Formats: sequence, structure tokens, C-alpha cells
Amino acid sequence: MAERPEDLNLPNAVITRIIKEALPDGVNISKEARSAISRAASVFVLYATSCANNFAMKGKRKTLNASDVLSAMEEMEFQRFVTPLKEALEAYRREQKGKKEASEQKKKDKDKKTDAEEQDKSRDEDNDEDEERLEEEEQNEEEEVDN
Amino acid sequence: MAAAAGSGTPREEEGPSGEAAAPQPQAPTSAPGARLSRLPLARVKALVKADPDVTLAGQEAIFILARAAELFVETIAKDAYCCAQQGKRKTLQRRDLDNAIEAVDEFAFLEGTLD
Repeated sequence: MAERPEDLNLPNAVITRIIKEALPDGVNISKEARSAISRAASVFVLYATSCANNFAMKGKRKTLNASDVLSAMEEMEFQRFVTPLKEALEAYRREQKGKKEASEQKKKDKDKKTDAEEQDKSRDEDNDEDEERLEEEEQNEEEEVDN
Repeated sequence: MAAAAGSGTPREEEGPSGEAAAPQPQAPTSAPGARLSRLPLARVKALVKADPDVTLAGQEAIFILARAAELFVETIAKDAYCCAQQGKRKTLQRRDLDNAIEAVDEFAFLEGTLD
């Protein structure tokens, strides 16, 4: 679908929301400006990825990790992002840990209770698990990709 | 509420407001500061994979890139707004963005990429 990497856009609605929250009330944004910012964000990710990858290669690693990205931010002169990013990373790690424990707990509960009894409940839980499974599948995807 | 028809991200269906076009599978909005990232990690990952030199990227790296992109959007929007303010306008235009890119060193990497 996308012909060039820069054409991989991030969702417009999300970009618009981020912009609106960054600006004072009553300020609008033209479609062209919004679309340009969206594109700029894609370019930013591509550039950051490339910088981060250099750090990974320097460390003789094949997998980009969080600290590579943080180093990239400094390299790109976005040092002011580093602190909020570190905080976000810690929160993310806590959430991931919580998710794992929660899904393991759910699986334990499921085994204990009857399927018939929990059919309705587990439909919702299944959705959650599907989402987590998706993440795990994505992780597996990463391991299989060999560029 | 429509049940998810086999899609992997049923939370998209749960958006009550008219802005249902925003896929936010990773965004817990329960508490301030608990909002981790609004940009969908899958799309960010697609961008990362587009780089031929990148072999693998860990989940944390993708997450931080997403969050960094958000910060970037906030930053550039604010900088562009400063230009619009000088023009006494209340709508951000494309030219405000171009001015910001020219004026701010950190945005130099964007030159020539937005056309």
C-alpha cells in the first residue's frame, strides 16, 4: 500500500488531538498544516530509527532497544525529550509487568472455573487476551523478520 | 455496542464520541500521567520496519519512539503557533510550519521532506 516510508502516516485523528491539546483553546489548524505535521512526525520516526540503529550497531546489537532511542534523541538535539521519555518508559514497564501478571492470573482462573459458567465473561476477557496475544504475536513477528 | 467482528483491536469499537476514527489500543485514559501513548504502536512499528538497515526492534523501543513522536508533534505545533500568533491569526497554516522548520535548528532534518 505505502510506496515510500514517508507515506506511512500516523492516524489523522490522533495527530489532530495531540496538536489541539498542545495549543490554547480556540486555536485551529488547517488541513494542510495538520497533514504536514503528520508527515513530519513520520519523518521524525524514520530519522530517529536510523539514529537509534547506529547506536545499536555500535553496541554490536541487532535489536533496537530503548536506550538506543534515547541516545538518538540526544544526537538529534531533542535532549528535552529524554526525561519525559524515561518517565514514560518506567510507566510502560510497570504496565507491561501488570498486564503479564493479570493475564497469567486470568488464565489460572479460567482453568479453575467451568467453561459454560464463564462463557459470557470470558468473551470480554478473550478480547483482552487477543489483544495481548497480538502483541506477543507481533513480538514473534519481530523475531522472524530478517531484513 | 457492536461486538468485535474478529478484529484484533476491539477497543476501537468502544469509542463513544464521534471521534471513533482514532484507534487507541494502547491508551489507558483513567488517570493523568497514566496515558502512555496515543499513537498506535503497530503503525510506528511499520515505520521502523521500513528502514532496510534495521533488523529488529524491541517493544520498548517502539513504545519510546511513539511517545517521542507525540512529543515532537506537540513541540512543532507550539513552535508553529508562535509564528501564527505573530500574524494575529487563530488558525495554524502550512506556512507557519515552514517558518518554524526554518527557524528552529532541531527541525532542520525536515527540510525538503514535507513536499
